[in-house]
Amino acid sequence: MDLIGIQNILDNGAFATLLLTMALFWLGLAAPQTKLFTQLGTVGMAIANLGLAALLLARWLEAGYFPLSNLYESLLFIAWGVTLAGLGFQSQYPRVQDWIGSVTAPVALGIVAFAALSLPPSMQTAQPLVPALKSNWLMMHVSVMLLSYAALMTGSVVAIAFLWVTRGQSQVVLKGNSLGIIGSSSSGGLGLGDTLDNLSYRAIGLGFPLLTIGIVSGGVWANEAWGSYWSWDAKETWSLIVWLVFAAYLHTRITKGWQGRRPAIIASCGFLVVWVCYLGVNLLGKGLHSYGWFF
Amino acid sequence: MTQISDKPFHKSLGAATLLLRGPRRFWRHEFLPLLANLQVAIALLLVIAFFSIAGTVIEQGQSWDYYQEHYPEHPALFGFLTAQVLVAMGLDRVYSSWWYLTLLMLLAASLMACTWTRQMPMLRVARRWFYYQKPESIAKLPLHWAITQDTDSGIESLGQILRQRQFQVFCQEGRLYARRGLVGRIGPILVHVSLLLILAGAVWGATTGFLTQALVASGETFQLAQVLERGPWARIPQNWQVRVNRFWIEYSPSGAVEQFYSDLSVVDRQGQELKRETIQVNRPLRFDGVTFYQANWDLAAVKFTLNQSPVLQLPLTKLRSPQNGSQVWGTWIPTKTDLSAGVSLITPDMQGTFLIYDEAGQLQHTTHLGEGITINGITLTLREVVGATGLQIKSDPGVPLVYLGFALLMAGVVMSYVSYSQVWALTLNGVLHVGGKTNRAAVHFAEELGAIAETIPAAAPGTPIAHP
Repeated sequence: MDLIGIQNILDNGAFATLLLTMALFWLGLAAPQTKLFTQLGTVGMAIANLGLAALLLARWLEAGYFPLSNLYESLLFIAWGVTLAGLGFQSQYPRVQDWIGSVTAPVALGIVAFAALSLPPSMQTAQPLVPALKSNWLMMHVSVMLLSYAALMTGSVVAIAFLWVTRGQSQVVLKGNSLGIIGSSSSGGLGLGDTLDNLSYRAIGLGFPLLTIGIVSGGVWANEAWGSYWSWDAKETWSLIVWLVFAAYLHTRITKGWQGRRPAIIASCGFLVVWVCYLGVNLLGKGLHSYGWFF
Repeated sequence: MTQISDKPFHKSLGAATLLLRGPRRFWRHEFLPLLANLQVAIALLLVIAFFSIAGTVIEQGQSWDYYQEHYPEHPALFGFLTAQVLVAMGLDRVYSSWWYLTLLMLLAASLMACTWTRQMPMLRVARRWFYYQKPESIAKLPLHWAITQDTDSGIESLGQILRQRQFQVFCQEGRLYARRGLVGRIGPILVHVSLLLILAGAVWGATTGFLTQALVASGETFQLAQVLERGPWARIPQNWQVRVNRFWIEYSPSGAVEQFYSDLSVVDRQGQELKRETIQVNRPLRFDGVTFYQANWDLAAVKFTLNQSPVLQLPLTKLRSPQNGSQVWGTWIPTKTDLSAGVSLITPDMQGTFLIYDEAGQLQHTTHLGEGITINGITLTLREVVGATGLQIKSDPGVPLVYLGFALLMAGVVMSYVSYSQVWALTLNGVLHVGGKTNRAAVHFAEELGAIAETIPAAAPGTPIAHP
């Protein structure tokens, strides 16, 4: 079995599928009466998700360890996580399928494009694990961290979509919010803004526990391996910053009079903070977390 | 009920005048509410996040010379950030600076105030449930329906459906209260308590723990005499020592490092072995509250024979290439008894390959351990490379507390994902009033409760309603 050949087909295939998927979802948004676009987009998202999973699996078979040893693999894993979150939330929130797809597909596409097209081939090949990474904690810590990034990014881009949908409205009255207070009384039937707002909240609400578990598992691993559960290494500090920003977001949601756009603005800033934590710190190339990335 | 009534921030600004009226009143009515204020807490979280960035941009813990070189007077970075300013502000050690620790203490105070004055009362209210008596109260809920009935059994079938959906249902005399997901209310409290535990554990560890490093050659014994950092109440064990039996590196066939190993023995003053273990990266040795981690390594010496001589040993010195920073180890071996001639020995790692250079700096031989080579008429045989293990030695009595905090934190954040949902119902004059609210998954709950409301049989003349 030629795993390398399969991998090349799979990553290019995932890129092409996601490009098409994004186009379909955007068409679905532009022409809401034609349901076909969104349905085909969801199919495309599922194909991309399976393709990325197959790619990671092929690398797992080839290298013999969980494929999270370098930037290329972790990017593909995040892209897989974003498509998974996209699909999951599409089934949970069928009424805003087109919006979910329209914002998650470009994120996944961007990540796959960066991984497959702009990283040099030397950084795409699987490297042997350095001693510090030879631990079962690797699988736990890194995969949970990356899944949390995927969920938080999904929540953040949906918050950006919410800001777009409610643009020009200085005061957004939401029916369903975390306080359970409402402006007007009506039964069921939450609007687009409400649904996106709640979806963003749920996605971040899912990413936040994952992030917490990821940071904690990293702390325990570091304590077992190096003797310190926290060393203020750049990556650690940035993960704390991400945690604090989303903790602030979760608290704005229970602050009276702050519903609507204000939490969404914090959530969309969170998108940038997640990316700085995930990529920016490694571009500096300092600290304990520089294994197998740009080195 | 469980609404959060937030006092606006500006109302607390009269604090100074109130201070004169009495400290207790100030504490209870001004200071605690300010600490527990959500806007203040959010601001605090974002301020800590912002200042944390500083330590990831500025190199931490460097020498004064380093900062002087990188942050000169002219031109000052951003017009003000010179080495003096940077060090005076504590930006060279952000995370142990007085202002960062103050922020963390404020966060801890805010967590305590919030848990005590806000979350606990809310939980008490949530546990004390009640029925709504008036249809108008139900109509004020975010989701509500009024369904005309011709029997009174509608409320019972509603209770049945809610029970099937994991609600806890209370039903009495045509009134119903149901709730689900009380853990979602307990979760945030657990998160706050666990964060306090982690902070307390960190303080406990910093005051009673110690940290040190040791570079020990194979075969040598060391004691915890001097430590690099220690808390004011640290206990440093003196009644045992550690012997490094052997340090070695396992290489992959391609020459990359697979793993570092140190075979360690803990021995008491009489030389009696108390514990023996081989440690590696990710697998430390623990003894008497002290943990030994594999952290670093070095080459200490090379053993060799000249002709039929006994085994001789010379120390190896680490040499660093000024161009690319790559390192090698080297020594000089005399080949004449009066030391007038000799060769230089260079090795890049612990794999046993040596390069031998003559006095002119020309590469003469490449040799491996156990191979004899003839230089100046003498047979030099390299026998062994003596490694030195770099150990990180740490005692942190705060870890159990921190780990407890970690466990509760993980449980708390997962519990916090659960929505706390409540449903009320009331039958009055042949109309079933149903209403409900939730705190997190609003869309899902609206759909769920809407679907439930639709399944409740509405009045249809002549249709008997099945009694559950």
